[in-house]
Amino acid sequence: MKKQYFVCIALIALLSFVSLPLFSQGSKDSAVDGPVSIDLWYGAAVTEAGPPPADWVGFDIIKEKLNIDLKLTTLPSNESDQDVKIQAAAAANNLPDLFMVRRDVLARLVSQGLVAPVDDLYEKMPTRTATHYNEVSRNHTKFNGKSYGLADPGSIVKNEGLLIRKDWLDNLGLSIPTTTDELLDVMRAFTFDDPDGNGKNDTYGYGAFQEVNNYEAWPGRRLEPILGAFGVEGTWDMTVANAGLTILKPEFYDAMVYLKKMVDEGIIDPNWLAYKKDDFRAAWKQGRFGIMREQNAAFAAQSNYAPFDKNFPNGEWVVMDPIKGPKGHASIGPYTAGFRIYAISAKAVEEGKKEKIAELLEWMASDEGYYLLGWGVEGVNYTKDANGIPVADGLPDPDLAFSGPVGQTVTQLRNMVFYNGDIELYARYPKYITATSKKEMSALDVLRTMQSKQWTPAIGSDMLPIPSADLKRFYEQGLSEFITGKRTLNRTNWNTWIAEFKKLGGQDWNDKGVAFAKENNLLNE
Amino acid sequence: MQVFQKAICADERVWGNTSASHSLKQCPSALCGKVGKVQETPCIILPSCPYAESVRLQMAERTAKQQLLRDIKRHKSVYALLAIPLIYYIIFKYVPIFNGQIAFKDYMALDGVLGSQWIGFEHFRTFVNSYYFVELLRNTLMYSLGKLVFSLPLAIILAIAIYESNRPILRKTVQTLAYLPHFLSWVIMYGILLALLAPGDGIVNDVIKLFGGKPIDFLTNTDAFPWIVILSDAWKEMGWSAIIFIAALMGIDPSLFEAALVEGANSWQRVRYITLPSIRPVIVIVVLLRLGTILDAGFNQIFMLYSTPVYSVADIIDTWVYRQGLLEFQFGLATAVGLFKGVIGMFLILGSNRLVKRFGGSSLY
Repeated sequence: MKKQYFVCIALIALLSFVSLPLFSQGSKDSAVDGPVSIDLWYGAAVTEAGPPPADWVGFDIIKEKLNIDLKLTTLPSNESDQDVKIQAAAAANNLPDLFMVRRDVLARLVSQGLVAPVDDLYEKMPTRTATHYNEVSRNHTKFNGKSYGLADPGSIVKNEGLLIRKDWLDNLGLSIPTTTDELLDVMRAFTFDDPDGNGKNDTYGYGAFQEVNNYEAWPGRRLEPILGAFGVEGTWDMTVANAGLTILKPEFYDAMVYLKKMVDEGIIDPNWLAYKKDDFRAAWKQGRFGIMREQNAAFAAQSNYAPFDKNFPNGEWVVMDPIKGPKGHASIGPYTAGFRIYAISAKAVEEGKKEKIAELLEWMASDEGYYLLGWGVEGVNYTKDANGIPVADGLPDPDLAFSGPVGQTVTQLRNMVFYNGDIELYARYPKYITATSKKEMSALDVLRTMQSKQWTPAIGSDMLPIPSADLKRFYEQGLSEFITGKRTLNRTNWNTWIAEFKKLGGQDWNDKGVAFAKENNLLNE
Repeated sequence: MQVFQKAICADERVWGNTSASHSLKQCPSALCGKVGKVQETPCIILPSCPYAESVRLQMAERTAKQQLLRDIKRHKSVYALLAIPLIYYIIFKYVPIFNGQIAFKDYMALDGVLGSQWIGFEHFRTFVNSYYFVELLRNTLMYSLGKLVFSLPLAIILAIAIYESNRPILRKTVQTLAYLPHFLSWVIMYGILLALLAPGDGIVNDVIKLFGGKPIDFLTNTDAFPWIVILSDAWKEMGWSAIIFIAALMGIDPSLFEAALVEGANSWQRVRYITLPSIRPVIVIVVLLRLGTILDAGFNQIFMLYSTPVYSVADIIDTWVYRQGLLEFQFGLATAVGLFKGVIGMFLILGSNRLVKRFGGSSLY
């Protein structure tokens, strides 16, 4: 028996030894004299392309000049998957040294003490700070008076617009609608009057899909121009006079009635509740609907516009003004300052890597880093035109062009160096002639037009408190049930539902949001 | 009186060299004294002799150990193969149980599993008191039982049909086609379902419209959605699930069918009186195993298919855990729900196994 006990104890000891790494809480950097190892989890610039190859020249330059051994990991392209990956690493106290993170997740990591403040880094990175950070960006990552993340310029603001098929309007002898009533008429005509003249009943007025975020709650971004006509665009009203959740405003009910009418009459593509983003984009390229809210590059960039151009050489989308509602309100939607946050783990600071991370980021902002990460190697991945703009012309191997499938892999970190400067925009959105219809197109021109339309400022609305998962579900499910008819949409039912929403925590969410907005001076006059 | 083979008591030295107080001479039984000397015939031991019994046990144990060692040595490659899944289960299934304690803790990553504060059943209370708890439980059970009720009989029918088919080419073709969907991910399946069922241009709705009907929003309609989930799962997994039943069918003694044919049994009678009773133990095992995972309603499938309008019939425990636990950084809560599911599953397996054993004869163990 003694022998058996001994064997059992030995086995448990062995198992414990084997399993120790499973409970490990991170590891110290073992290199003392060699290069400092920095783990970077980044958001890929082109999600369809692969990561930088192992022999990417950038690794050597960074090691040689900065004595940094850079290890890259691509984050998933889907935001929820990104959150899960980061939070799973955080739960094991095994966050990478430097990583991209959404603000909601950052707030949770701050409360857990897993990320380090970065206030002292700004002055250590003068070049980068001059082009990338300002007061707004610093406030964006501020918790308890400290900045816990480097908020780099993200997507270009106001880069979406309300687009309408002008060729359909011309075919039907209609003009661009300006009011909600006119919009209804045009949507009906697009649905029932065969605007493409193919003799089939296969078109719809409006196209959308459910795309929600912190500041654009259900039904989401693609329908914001409709909500905007009623003055309830965005999750939050960020004005001093009416600060609070837009769902609590009486006008939200009117917007819901309008949306319900679109659904009941079948003038919005009935697939909108089932579409994912790619399905939606495939649908407009197949000519399924004639009005939509779309992003400038997703609409007008060469590769994105090509299928539509091929299918409809005579097709033409134009950017229209937002429609006016019963009270004259109009908006494409709310806009915030788009940021891409990079945070430094507390573990990295403990391991003495903070200075090196600052060095790395500052180098990225230098001319050498900017062009290398933004466009690759001159003469291999890009050349410069007469104005100094990187272009993909005159390269010995066109496959390696920064815009090509192979070249894209070496510019995957470009979002860490870009700040939406003119050079970037000109290089990113060059003018081109479409293959089939021979039209001149420019996503930059489209962008400028979209930006010139009426938008609602909502800076900081993406920083306001978020609801619990149950409350969020109640909000989204309730609205969708009203729209799809599962709940009858009338004043009584609406008020009852709003009362239940408030009881479940909606009022508390509203009050906390307003208080936060006031404390942080986020409200507009 | 017990009878043993000579191999067990043939080690005469043990008997002869013992210096214990219980010696052969002291043994009251004459028969016992003869045991050690018998070489070629089975030896007889009286259980009443304490010394003889203890030595017998020692010898039996030693002999069994020796036998095991001999077996391991002889079949070392087979044991090496066995070691791989064994190590896998120890490392990935048993060791993580240690971390299960965060279900009862306010888990803070910096404090680690051991350092976090105990909070008792707080996470369990949060889950049970959550606004949608009843609905989550109802939906989860609805999909689990629905899949069991629909998918399992379909898999059995498919297996019998394949087994009974006399045309090898047809059999193989059907088998391959039935297996194929199992290898498609739910992302691809969603694309296929959208192409089939979309209210705007889905093939099914095109047919409905052709006959003058009104399109049905299958994927966003609360009445249709549960059926889509259950039937699409049956479609995807039916072929794969049938494999185990086909294997069981292959093990039926063909002479039973030959005898039935001689007796004039038709196809249906052969299935009813031979095939189904023969594979009953396998059906029981499959049902018992499914009961153990009754609270796993298929996260991947629901997560891909569900959308806001069908939350009321689509949200299951796992999707709630994903939103509330993983996305909200409440790993303790997620673990508590996992533990809750595991305990329920274990009791279901134990209970149903006992019931089946009592009333049916065959069981899992």
